[in-house]
Amino acid sequence: MPIYPVLAVLAAIVVVALEFIYFRSAIFRSRAYWVSMAIVLGFMIAVDGWLTKLSAPIVFYNDANTSGIRPVWDILIEEYAFAFALLTMVILLWERSAPAVADKAAAS
Amino acid sequence: MDRLQYSALMIACLLLTLPLEFVFGARVWRQPKRLVRSVVPVALFFLVWDLWATNRGDWGFNPKYTIGWKFPGGMVVEEILFFVAVPVCALLTLEAVRNMLAGTTPLQRWWRAR
Repeated sequence: MPIYPVLAVLAAIVVVALEFIYFRSAIFRSRAYWVSMAIVLGFMIAVDGWLTKLSAPIVFYNDANTSGIRPVWDILIEEYAFAFALLTMVILLWERSAPAVADKAAAS
Repeated sequence: MDRLQYSALMIACLLLTLPLEFVFGARVWRQPKRLVRSVVPVALFFLVWDLWATNRGDWGFNPKYTIGWKFPGGMVVEEILFFVAVPVCALLTLEAVRNMLAGTTPLQRWWRAR
């Protein structure tokens, strides 16, 4: 089994588990989260596409350790799990330290 | 100039998302403590993963497009920039969207007040 997709999916699962078991921020029920993730996905494809395009890669991979599946602009499919884990984890910490009450009411 | 590609891309991300802070009232850069507490622990974790994976040869960085400052094993300093810039962009997007949905961005206030 190639290690990168395994670890990327594992990281995504751990982050989801942390939300449900520990953080309980309800971020996955928030519209703002999903709308912003959709926007971020668009920009991720542009940026990650630029970084990993096979014609002139800035970041290159050992093919033995990746899925080798590159559906859009040469971006490895596990990169989406990696990006989800990275960004959702940061958002969970961000939400945890949200300023109380006054801002929350305005934000929801 | 090509060697600046990676770092320039990351700086471009930060510059392009900067208006979200003001036009959409994201208030991410203006909460520096909260920002550091959210970004740094996650960046450290992912940088350790990055160092490990680079050392194993899972991935590597093109010397043509990076400035050439490297950690043992080959991880480039641009990776630090990546794990700071990309999360900051995501937080700016989240807060901008949240304000948009609530109708509270400075842009919307200005539009209504015309």
